[in-house]
Amino acid sequence: MHELSVASSIANNVMDFARKHNAKKVLEVKLAIGELTSLATEQLTFCYEAVCRETLIEGSNLEIEKIQAEISCSHCSYKGAPKMWAGAFHSIEVPTLQCPECGKGADAVKGKECTIKNIKYVD
Amino acid sequence: MCKGHSHSHDHHDHEAATIDVAMEDNFMKANDDLADENRSILQQHGITAFDFMGAIGSGKTTLIGKITERLKDRYGIAILNGDATTVDDFDESALEGAQMLQICTHGACHLDANMVANALHNKIDLHKTDLMFIENVGNLVCPADFPLGSKKRVVVVSVSEGPYTVRKHTQMFIGAEIAVINKMEIADVMGIDVDALIDDIRTVNPNTKVVTTSCRTGKGLDKVLELLLEESAPKVNA
Repeated sequence: MHELSVASSIANNVMDFARKHNAKKVLEVKLAIGELTSLATEQLTFCYEAVCRETLIEGSNLEIEKIQAEISCSHCSYKGAPKMWAGAFHSIEVPTLQCPECGKGADAVKGKECTIKNIKYVD
Repeated sequence: MCKGHSHSHDHHDHEAATIDVAMEDNFMKANDDLADENRSILQQHGITAFDFMGAIGSGKTTLIGKITERLKDRYGIAILNGDATTVDDFDESALEGAQMLQICTHGACHLDANMVANALHNKIDLHKTDLMFIENVGNLVCPADFPLGSKKRVVVVSVSEGPYTVRKHTQMFIGAEIAVINKMEIADVMGIDVDALIDDIRTVNPNTKVVTTSCRTGKGLDKVLELLLEESAPKVNA
């Protein structure tokens, strides 16, 4: 639901970048999104294209890479992927904060990102 | 924002070169940083703040009202009531003595740390506040991505939201220390298996403490107070 405001901030930062570097054209923006955020990639791409229209970064391609969640367990010192919940729905596995080793609650250390990793432009 | 790692390659024509720049420009960081600032302002003033999240109609406003009634003689209470449209959610007469501030987001789907910062800097008398209850906009999705600086996040769900409300909104429970299952007085009528809802919460986040309540009968409210005040121990008004 807040994809439009996030897409606008991304586009603003890309525009600032393009102005600063005197870019003729921005080709591609690579974005990393953690699977523990509630950002929907399809909506984000749609909103990004919409807010870029008639600006100097129109036509730039937003590439989204999903970052998998990682947890750290203070009970058994496990670090890595959390227990995935396969039975929640038919089609998708849902990340949880459960430690796959001891079953107790862990802390998320990765998976909440929303970060521009790379911009490709024509000089 | 740019780390400066840049190199040219892939010449498409004679004039223009394609340049690839790596960076680390985090969009959630601006809100996260402001939330940290809010947290430290609250700490400096000895204020314990809670962010109440949940769907429209889950009972956030009523729950905050009920716990405020029980605590307002012992603690200085400030309520920040975020709402997308209305400006008068609370029955102020019942909560006399508590500071109340309505934050209308004008359609936005969540509160952000900046809105709370504005309230902390300009609108709330922090010296008269021990406990702060921040009611987020009614929404089980977006507030999860925007921490406000509270000590604990409380998610309120009601049995009227159906049997799948937890598994459909896992992000919300991953980010919550306390989950309140409300409107227990109609669970049977709704045909809701409350134990299954609790199991779902424990599957998603074993750290979340769960309490079942009925704001109408008062059931479970003492347990909510216990969970809110444990480890928090704000100063008691003289």
